[in-house]
Amino acid sequence: MIDATDKKILKEVADLEGLPKGAYNIRKNGKLLGREVSANIKIETNEKGDGIFIDIKPDTKNESVHIPVILSQAGLHDTVYNTFIIGEGADVTIIAGCGIHCGGKESEGHSGIHEFQIKAGAKVKYVEKHIAIGEGSGRRILNPTTKIFMEENAQAEMVLTQLGGVDEAKRYNEAEIGARSVLLITERVMTEGSQMTESKNEISLTGNGSKSNIVSRSVLKGDSKQDFYVNLTARAKCYGHIECDAIIMDNGNNQTIPALRALHPDAELTHEASIGKIANDQLMKLMSLGLTYDEAVNRIIQGFLN
Amino acid sequence: MLQLQNVTFKAPDSKTKDKTLSQKTIVDDVSFTFEPGGFYTITGPNGSGKTSLAKLIMGINELSSGKIMFNGKDISALPINERSNAGVVYGFQHPARFKGTNFRDLLSISAGTDDEDTLARIIARVGVCSMDFLDKPVDGKLSGGEIKKIELATVIARNPKVAIYDEPDTGIDLWTIGPMVDLLKREQKENNTTTIVVSHNKAFLETADTLLLILNGKIAYSGNLKGAIPMLEDLSVCTFSKSCQGENDDRCYR
Repeated sequence: MIDATDKKILKEVADLEGLPKGAYNIRKNGKLLGREVSANIKIETNEKGDGIFIDIKPDTKNESVHIPVILSQAGLHDTVYNTFIIGEGADVTIIAGCGIHCGGKESEGHSGIHEFQIKAGAKVKYVEKHIAIGEGSGRRILNPTTKIFMEENAQAEMVLTQLGGVDEAKRYNEAEIGARSVLLITERVMTEGSQMTESKNEISLTGNGSKSNIVSRSVLKGDSKQDFYVNLTARAKCYGHIECDAIIMDNGNNQTIPALRALHPDAELTHEASIGKIANDQLMKLMSLGLTYDEAVNRIIQGFLN
Repeated sequence: MLQLQNVTFKAPDSKTKDKTLSQKTIVDDVSFTFEPGGFYTITGPNGSGKTSLAKLIMGINELSSGKIMFNGKDISALPINERSNAGVVYGFQHPARFKGTNFRDLLSISAGTDDEDTLARIIARVGVCSMDFLDKPVDGKLSGGEIKKIELATVIARNPKVAIYDEPDTGIDLWTIGPMVDLLKREQKENNTTTIVVSHNKAFLETADTLLLILNGKIAYSGNLKGAIPMLEDLSVCTFSKSCQGENDDRCYR
């Protein structure tokens, strides 16, 4: 049964008003809440019973899979291992994400360990959103791991979002990008109070003509802390770019450490990074269009994290 | 009617070590009345105080002394957004660039609606931006000319009573300056917009009903272009080395 809290979480993490159309797998407090498969998308519990195996047939087009996780059991720290096989020539969207509802003093946590095998010519958009709500004082912990293996001519776009509520998050992203394949990662994180996040990324451009663009947008409110690390390694003639920007609103603490490693003479790697307050000229511009100071700040942050 | 009454703006003098002890007067006891629907071009040498004066009107710079009256109301202490809501709008010389914000977002804020037809009508009215500008991110990738056109559109979209444009032609190609002048003139005539342009460009000097020549923070001349020509042709009025301390310290208070 889906209760009101579940509905709220599903709406927040997966923009769902109820059960989704098409294939889905909803996990609640470490157990299966609901599953639906389609002719082209198979979802099975893995052999160990600690996750799911999602197999998308070659040339599956315009289908989506929802795999949200709901956590509302005090003291539960759920770890799940999910494997995705995206068949050759497929073009699909995967909506993941975890919502924690904390109602008590005990901490709650989820570690989603996702592995993607993206076959030749396949295209996948992966949208992962993390939220935490509830009046409880227990810590809300989310530690996602994403491993991506791309064959040739594949495209993957990973949109990873965490906008408040999560006390502690340690993210690890790892990717190997094959010939002429393209990986785009956009990470958006907003922290407040004494929350902390750490994101570590190991991206390897292994095939000729491979490309990667890694974008990190961080907003730090209160005394929160965010650390962002990327190691972008080029092992072939390829192109890679890292763009990481952080806005510190109050007394936050941010480290941004992009590293470029060219292990091939024809590699082209670039990065840009900035940390600072909201630019004064942006505030002046929006206020000159009639917004109050607070409205201007909100619009700038909203756009920055968009 | 916009009235400047003994308006003065002082800023810390960059030459002195203790900024609290020494201040430089950037705008010096200026009084002037901008009549409704007039077209005014403010010009003068680099560092003379043109932009500082324009920013005082918008509230971007805070008055050191004096008063600004707008339609009989003292707006001297109003914040920028309240002046904007009262009808005073400002086009920046160096427009802000945003990450994650596109032209549609800015135009919607300015117009107070995101209705597609309304935005299309504004773009048609402005003329210098095409519809495909709408979804362009207003970020560092825009050319200098593109962002100035966007800036112009966001000012006009607010239907200002007083529109202040700080060097609107910077970065604009030669083929767009004429249409831009025509646009501002049209807005002035059709909407009775009091138009104040800070510019060195001959096209704006020629278009103005009234020219204000600023020297050392004061209005050295106000009137038509013909009367200003002797001063404009006198190269000695340039105070660059005095105001800006030459190339080694080119801090500019414009």
